[in-house]
Amino acid sequence: MKKLIALALAVMMVLSLSVTAFAAEGDVVLPREETLYFAGQQWGTVNSWNPIGTNQNNAMAIAAGAGQREIMFETLYMWNVLDGKLYGLLANDDYAWNDDMTALTFTIKDAAKWNDGSDVTAADVIRTFDIGVEIANGTGSSYGPFIESIEGEGKSVTINAKLNDAGQPVNPLKILDFLELTVIANAAWIDQVVEACGGDATAILNDDGLNDAGELEVPYTGPYTRYFDDDQKVVFIRDDNYWGQDASMWGKLPVPKYIAHTIYADNPAGEVALKEGEVDVCQQFIGNVQNLWLEDGLPISTYYEEAPYGVCLTMPTAWYNMNMPVIAENPALRKAIAMAVDYDSIIANAMTNQSPSFADVPRSLMNPTDGEQALYDHDAVADLQWAGNDIDGANALLDEAGLVDTDGDGIREYNGEKISLNAVCPNGWTDWQASMEQVAAAGAKIGVEITTLYPEYSIYQTVFVDPDQTEYAIFMWSPDASTPSNPWTRVNQFMGMDYVGIQNNWSGNWGQYVNEEADALIKQIPLTTDEAELKDLYTQLTEIYLTEVPSFSLMYRPSVFHAVNESVWTNYPYEGQTYTMADGSEVLVPPADCTDGFGIAALYNLELVG
Amino acid sequence: MKGYRKYFGKKIFWFILTFIAAVVLNFILPRLMPADPVAAITGRIAGGNTDAKAVAQIYERYQEEFGTNLPMHQQFLKFCKNAIHGNFGLSFSQYPRSVSDIIGSAIGWTIALQLPAILVGWLLGNLLGALAAYIRKGFDKVLLPVSLFLSNVPAFGMAVVLLVVFGVYLKVAPTAGGYAFDMIPHLSWDFIKSVISHYQLPFWSIVLVSIGGQAVGMRSMSIYELNADYVKYSRFLGIKDRKIVGYVFRNAMLPQVTGLALSIGTMVGGALVAEIIFSYPGLGSTMYSAVTAADYPLISATTLIITIMVLIVTFLLDIIYGFIDPRVKAAQFE
Repeated sequence: MKKLIALALAVMMVLSLSVTAFAAEGDVVLPREETLYFAGQQWGTVNSWNPIGTNQNNAMAIAAGAGQREIMFETLYMWNVLDGKLYGLLANDDYAWNDDMTALTFTIKDAAKWNDGSDVTAADVIRTFDIGVEIANGTGSSYGPFIESIEGEGKSVTINAKLNDAGQPVNPLKILDFLELTVIANAAWIDQVVEACGGDATAILNDDGLNDAGELEVPYTGPYTRYFDDDQKVVFIRDDNYWGQDASMWGKLPVPKYIAHTIYADNPAGEVALKEGEVDVCQQFIGNVQNLWLEDGLPISTYYEEAPYGVCLTMPTAWYNMNMPVIAENPALRKAIAMAVDYDSIIANAMTNQSPSFADVPRSLMNPTDGEQALYDHDAVADLQWAGNDIDGANALLDEAGLVDTDGDGIREYNGEKISLNAVCPNGWTDWQASMEQVAAAGAKIGVEITTLYPEYSIYQTVFVDPDQTEYAIFMWSPDASTPSNPWTRVNQFMGMDYVGIQNNWSGNWGQYVNEEADALIKQIPLTTDEAELKDLYTQLTEIYLTEVPSFSLMYRPSVFHAVNESVWTNYPYEGQTYTMADGSEVLVPPADCTDGFGIAALYNLELVG
Repeated sequence: MKGYRKYFGKKIFWFILTFIAAVVLNFILPRLMPADPVAAITGRIAGGNTDAKAVAQIYERYQEEFGTNLPMHQQFLKFCKNAIHGNFGLSFSQYPRSVSDIIGSAIGWTIALQLPAILVGWLLGNLLGALAAYIRKGFDKVLLPVSLFLSNVPAFGMAVVLLVVFGVYLKVAPTAGGYAFDMIPHLSWDFIKSVISHYQLPFWSIVLVSIGGQAVGMRSMSIYELNADYVKYSRFLGIKDRKIVGYVFRNAMLPQVTGLALSIGTMVGGALVAEIIFSYPGLGSTMYSAVTAADYPLISATTLIITIMVLIVTFLLDIIYGFIDPRVKAAQFE
């Protein structure tokens, strides 16, 4: 019987393997000292390798976190979230606006090459943008409204801005976003795909970038290429002919030969693997991350040795639904709830202090980075800011606004009806759920009935993007983190009217807040270059935001988490670490998961332990 | 023979009717969820777009692609027409991957994990149950409470205990994946060893939980049969114990066979808990994420496969019953 069972097991195993078997050329066991393992980026199987496609679910190759992921497909420039500067990647550091900011010119590096050795040229940049507009992919949707055309020849490129009725560029900041967020695709390959798909936009978007034999067909410029992928992992191998080893770029190859990402079922599985040393770089929220080295004695570290451990770039926010009269007509109610919330508790419990408190970084429209904090006048808005848990202040505000409890049931009324709201976020998003519980608790303390509601994400994401919805009163979503167009994009998301009434609104102003004064100020910012004027505009907007309270942030949060295990590799980004550029200058390396924007410099700094 | 034909003709008729009802329900129920997966796909592509018309165009394009702009009955006819050709369309959540591709890549792992686990759990459970009933005394006193305990441990509890004890603390088995984190699938002994080593914990997490239930059921049935009149009468006639035990087990086995058949029928649903806790590949977690993402095509296809499997197994069971139990055969002819 035992033999029979063993035989049955073996047969099953072989059968199952025949389904997934892959005859790999090269290493079939990845050498540990040549492989950098990741967790927390790739969830589920890779769908596609098409950089002009959609829904690729290819988080290591085609995605953005703290900048665009640069390991396989590259952008013209790399964004550095620490110093807020663009650094040339495919392009030279020579981008420049004309006087009226209607055109931006730059040159592509002479050394920049596709993996087949051919030059990256203006034609590739032009075709990448044009096809985006034609098939309405992410690039076309995001930048079509701001870029009129791209032209150029050889290595010279000019981006012409779309102009408004006054003949001014619609938004130069968005053009800077294009430079760092759009991966450049190969013009000849695009033509080939268009031809193969008969010009059908959906077929082009759905092309998987592979040939009929399942081999990679799409050209790339980055230092790594696809080595293997299945339901359980995705592996990249270094391309030793990578153009970036030229002295005009990195001057060398990235250190790890392989980059591998096991596809874990959930965060706990990834965390266990990090502790076991099977993962080197972990982009996951780990509660009380400091215990990994303080209590467990593991060789695990984060960017900062002390809290908040990472660089926070965004602010998960509770949005008020302005379709509900009780909310829209009562700024005092909006502010009172926001004032009563115990943010310290959210930050201590839900975020395990991986966020600065609102006493450390007072609330505004800015993320906690020095660059953004310098953009508004702190003293001018100090009286309007609140750090939370101010029950007396909130009650006084409500009393003053005439929102009182007249029938003695403990709940205040508005227009004769008790104020009853819900606080909503997706089920299973535990830190957000903990935040919503605090919002409900705050309501209970100030005589406002707030019940929590946690629908499945599939339902939640259908409702909150509906501009006419009245199902969710207070609901959570995060605004933009850090790009060249921020904090403008984030401010526009908080109060801009561009998004009011847009169906399937994934873009911003999810509460449908209308304020023409704020909108006019927001529209001035992209064309303002004078620093003092810019600061004045942002300060005015902060005043409006803190007075009107169309939404309120609950915590600060990194856009990518960065916990690293130093049992095999070391010299990951740490506070103050720099990379020496080709011209000898030192540039801070951000904790951007070793892959995003200028954060990819980390791959060139890595060293083996011992 | 005529009786057989009539009996199975009737059965086939009911199976077809059940199948049609199941297909309709498989199609309609997921679509009644208050979610709009096309909106999610639109959002992924149109995020940042402030041109309402452009966003609407993108939305309409995907509605057309998935056919969600058609009335429900037309969608259903399209679904049936494509399903006959084995085409279940494109997945919403893993768009543009096809449902067939997703199921194809996961089903091998699910069968490889579930089939042996179900068979081993069933065999061991029944063997232990029968032994407990036959031997009684000390063996039964230990086995019964242990079986009761095992059968009441929730599957996730067992999986987590095995993971923490054998994976994290004792480090005798890997904690995640279907094969080693540093391997690329290839045919070699090292790779097969790696697959087997990753197989252990999910396998035993299923087997241990099912052993308990099977053993308790088999023990009760066997005790009942051992006290039946025909056993006593056989003893009076002086028939050998071995022969009597054969009769007893054959009769006690019947309900257990039904349980086994149904388990095999539903196994393609995957071992959700084991797959999630051990990050093990398979259809269970695929189905789970399909449900949470309101991925209608994927839900409909997987539930349809389960429906077909259960119907086939139940039908086969009916035929097999006729052979292993003459009483059932007699009833079939009535």
